[in-house]
Order: sequence, then structure tokens, then C-alpha cells
Amino acid sequence: MRAATFQGKGHIEVRQMPDPKIVNPRDAIVEVTSTAICGSDLHLYDGVIPGVEKDDILGHEFMGRVVDVGRESTLTIGQRVVVPFTIFCGQCFQCADQRYSACDNSCPVENQQVAEKAFGYPLAGMFGYSHLTGGYAGGQAELVRVPYSDVIPQIVPDDIPDDRLLFLSDILPTGWMAALNAEIEPGDTIAVWGCGPVGLFSILSAFHQGAGRVIAIDGVPGRLAMAEGLGAEPVNFHETDILDGLMQMTGGVGPDAVIDAIGMESHGFSIDNIADRIKQTVGMGQDRAHVLRQAILACRKGGRVSVPGVYGGKADLFPLGALMQKGLQLRTGQTHVRRYTEELLDMIERDVIDPSFLISHRLPLDDAARGYRNFRDHQDDWIKVVMQP
Amino acid sequence: MNLANWARYGLAATLATAAGGVLMIRRPTHANHDAAPARSARHARRFGDYRVTGATVSIRATPEQILDCWQSDPQLWRDLEYLPIPEGNQPDLLLPSAELRAMASRPLLIRIVTRREGELIAWASEGDDHADMHGRMRLHDNGAKGIAVEVIMAVRPRDFASTLKTEAMMAEALKLGILRDLRRMKMLIETGEIATARMRPDAA
Ligand SMILES: NC(=O)c1ccc[n+]([C@@H]2O[C@H](COP(=O)([O-])OP(=O)(O)OC[C@H]3O[C@@H](n4cnc5c(N)ncnc54)[C@H](O)[C@@H]3O)[C@@H](O)[C@H]2O)c1
Ligand SMILES: [Zn+2]
Ligand SMILES: [Zn+2]
Repeated sequence: MRAATFQGKGHIEVRQMPDPKIVNPRDAIVEVTSTAICGSDLHLYDGVIPGVEKDDILGHEFMGRVVDVGRESTLTIGQRVVVPFTIFCGQCFQCADQRYSACDNSCPVENQQVAEKAFGYPLAGMFGYSHLTGGYAGGQAELVRVPYSDVIPQIVPDDIPDDRLLFLSDILPTGWMAALNAEIEPGDTIAVWGCGPVGLFSILSAFHQGAGRVIAIDGVPGRLAMAEGLGAEPVNFHETDILDGLMQMTGGVGPDAVIDAIGMESHGFSIDNIADRIKQTVGMGQDRAHVLRQAILACRKGGRVSVPGVYGGKADLFPLGALMQKGLQLRTGQTHVRRYTEELLDMIERDVIDPSFLISHRLPLDDAARGYRNFRDHQDDWIKVVMQP
Repeated sequence: MNLANWARYGLAATLATAAGGVLMIRRPTHANHDAAPARSARHARRFGDYRVTGATVSIRATPEQILDCWQSDPQLWRDLEYLPIPEGNQPDLLLPSAELRAMASRPLLIRIVTRREGELIAWASEGDDHADMHGRMRLHDNGAKGIAVEVIMAVRPRDFASTLKTEAMMAEALKLGILRDLRRMKMLIETGEIATARMRPDAA
């Protein structure tokens, strides 16, 4: 089969790889019909997440049709599924409480050690997301081996096009969980940093969950315009002093909750961000946490901080004092995708949400390298890239 | 009882009977306010001449299911690194895994010395010209998290460390290996399979 593979920092190549086969009894093989590039993939592409090896197959946002099943799979051949990016067993203590991205069993023991050293415990498995999360082959490929196929995939109806369903695999539930983690009360003012796909779906979700106002912060006009289209009030960080701006926009109170939908690759020329960038470049630090610092400072006293943006290291200059002294709540995590897919699918079926507005580019899988490059370098109009194998 | 014998039988008895912080000799006169198990001690993870390592996992299953998997699931056996296997045919012997045998510089014969139904299996090696190791698996209730399964292994370094593997490396390999073995067992019992990222049955 053909698959988008990592060949080194900034180097993606579509290569011929061996077809996956059933390995464990609960496996299924899915033939991919659509797959997307995620902001998280850019962290791999830019080499800021360790544990990616040459020839690793990338991609964790995909859907398709079942073409083979193991003897314990409950899927049937031909069924159409969206596959959540977090791999989980469904049976451990964590899964029993739907904390799927904390599954105890889905990361192969051979790949647990690095994360265990860095984070205290091994992580759950993920598709196409480095050996820290299991070393599983990803979905930017013609075929994918899907473990625990009796619990992970979301079965979807045949009469809804891929474009409206694909984002159930990650970013729609991620935006949804980001808003839930902000514990929105009716009428609240929410500030969202980042108008990439995750930020935009966080804005959409915040309104659905009762926010009165959403303030959207980014530096890319095209993306800010999309946020505005969703009803948010756009603020360009190149032109506005964010802390000052938010203070004025909220009558001196500050936002009730803040959402960092950017993570470890914050842009901008603030002093802390320049220092972080240098550290990241020379390998002395992993996270450019400028946005998280800013969001914590901006949040009103007693407010909530929700962090869907991905971090991997030990950010310094972390405003611990502001967090503690203002009595903020901090909630974060890789998304427990499957916990939310039924509810969100129902909203898609009822036309309450149509996530396809996000798609800016459709490419054949063979153009993956171009997709990655432009999604990173031309953010103004490359909002979301969907590829067909 | 001479010292060597004490170390040998005393250790087996200690491993077999005691709970929690067993391996630390308690000195009530200057109490060490530390409820952590002795094998997590910062300094000497030792007991007499023995190097002590171990690991714990919690498994959502009954003690019977856990022991049954350990004693009779060939799929688990195939993947075990250092945990010896209680094999059904010889009820009082444990089979050392291939890795454990390869690590030992002398032959290894392991006999079960204590068995408390659904709770504990303790073992000790036999023969003066054989590699010397003791260990036990203990199960106890861990509420909603399942049954906590704890394995402790105590080995005499001169029989397991080598010029290639120093004592510290040997102890680290054992500790990690036991942890991985227990996690494999947890996967197999809870999910019916052992997680793998391989794309094909025949792949490395
Ligand atoms: N928690 C999860 O499970 C999960 C799932 C998917 C994605 N993510 C993470 O969410 C984050 C966003 O993903 P995405 O796909 O939207 O990425 P993206 O790269 O497309 O979007 C990031 C946006 O942040 C903006 N930005 C950068 N620096 C900024 C600054 N200083 N102030 C304001 N805006 C700034 C960029 O202009 C861009 O529009 C990434 O870190 C990604 O890894 C997390
Ligand atoms: Zn993603
Ligand atoms: Zn699980």
C-alpha cells in the first residue's frame, strides 16, 4: 500500500509500505477513504515531539471501510467507520470511566519506557503519533490496522459524506472537550487562543455549550475571519496587546474561562517566546508556552483554564503564582474522543453541526508532502487539508 | 542455622509471610516513618546478600483468573521476560523463562515453597551449585482498581550479574522485565490480547 511516511524533520514522503494484516483477535483492517493533516502532525513534522522514526506512517484523523476483521471484532466487512485517534482497550479501570486517552493497556510494553520516564506513567496508544504513544502506524495510508475494533471505531451511516464525518476522529471532539473543560456557564465570556481547526471547533462548541461571548485570538487574518464567521469577536495579537485588550473587552473583569488551542509551537516575538524558540531549536526545551502563560494571566480570578493544545516538556516561567493566587482551575489532556462521538454524530445527522466548513484543501494522498508544507507555511488560506488515498 | 542457611530459608520465609514493607528490618527505637515497600528504598535494595527488585500492577479480574492466566496461558508464556511460570505438570516447580535462564550464570531450579490459595505463591531456588533466587507473587484487593498483583524477586548478584551486565544493570533489567511481564498479564486478562504495534503477524 501507499502511505505518508516521516523521513526526517520537515520531510514527508509517500512510500510503498507492506499492507497491514490482522495481528490480534480484536483487530480490523480499514481501507481509508479520507484522512486529514492535524496541527498535532505539525509538531511531528517540525521535530518537536521525540520518538518519531524514519518510515513511520503518520496520520491520526481517518475514516474508511472495514475490509478485514479478527475473530473477536464486532465489525462486519464493508461497514463504514470513523476511527478515533486515541487507541483504548475498553476494559481497564480508566476505560471503564471513559478516560480513553489514559487507557492502561493500549501502549505496547516495549514502547512504554520513554513516556514513563518523562511523565511518570506510560501513555495510551495513538495512531501515527510517535513511539511515545505506542509506535502504531497511522491513517495517512491506504490501509490501517485498527486494534480493539469492537470498541474504538464509530460506525457511521452510509448517506452522509466523508467531509462531514471525518473530523469526528479528532478535532471536533477535541474542540468539544476543550469547551467542556472550560465548564461554561450560560452567558460566560470565553477567550480562545488559536483559530486553527481546534480553536475554531472550540469556538463552535463554546457557543453550543452556552457561552454568551467568545473572543478569538490569532495572528492570521484568514483564520480570524473564520472565527468571526462563527460569531466570535476576533483579536489579532500582532496588532493588539492581548492582556490589555481582553481587560477592556470584558469591562475589567477578564474572561470567565480561557482555552489554549495552540500548544507547544506558539508564534510571535514576545521575549519569552523568542527565548523558548531558541531553547527548542538547540534542544534545551520542548515547549513554547507563551500562549499558556498569557492565557493564565488573562483569565479572571476564580476562572477556568482549558488546554487542548499539546505540550510535551517542562515549560519554564510557568505562572504558577497566578494559577494559585487567582484560584484557577486547569484542565487538559489528549481527547477521550470516543466518549463524544455518538453525541456529535447525532448533531451532525440532525444538521445542528456541519464540520465540513473547515476544509480548505482536498489533495490526493500522493501530495501529502505539499499538504504538510502548505498547512504549516500558508496558514492564511490552508485551514484544513483532507487527503484521499 | 548458619548465616548462609538463614539468608536462604529466612528470606524465603520472609517473602512468603510478610506484607507491605516486609524486607526492611524494623527498628522500633528509631522508627522510620515511611510506609513505602522496602524494595522502593533509595539506598540498599538489598536483603543480606540479595538484590531485591519487584513491580506491581492492578488487574480487573478475580485472583483465580489472574493465577489461572499465569499458570496456563501459553500466549503469556511466549512473551514473558523474567517472571518464572508455574507449570501445571509439575505442581511444585516454576519454570524459569528463557531470559532468566540466560541471565543466570549457573543452572536454575525453582521450587514453590508456599502457596496460599488466591493470595500468594512464593518460591526459592534449589541446590548449592545452582543460581540462587527467591520470589513471590502476592495478590490483594485494590477496590475499584481490581486486584493488586505484586511480584518481588531477590537474587544473589554473583549468580546473575556478569562482566557484561553489572549488578546495577542486572537489577534494572529484572525490575523492568518484571513490570513488563505483569503489564502483559494485565493486558491479556483485561483485554484478551497483548498490545502490539506490529502491522502484520510476521513483522518484527
Ligand atoms: N488535546 C488533543 O487531543 C488535541 C487534538 C488535536 C490537536 N491538538 C492540538 O491543538 C493545537 C492546535 O491544533 P490545530 O490543528 O488547530 O493547529 P494549527 O497549527 O492549525 O493552529 C494553530 C493556530 O494558532 C495560531 N497561533 C500561533 N501562535 C499564536 C499566538 N501567540 N497567539 C494567538 N494565536 C497563535 C496560529 O496562527 C494557528 O492559526 C495543537 O497543539 C495540536 O497539537 C490537541
Ligand atoms: Zn489531531
Ligand atoms: Zn483501557
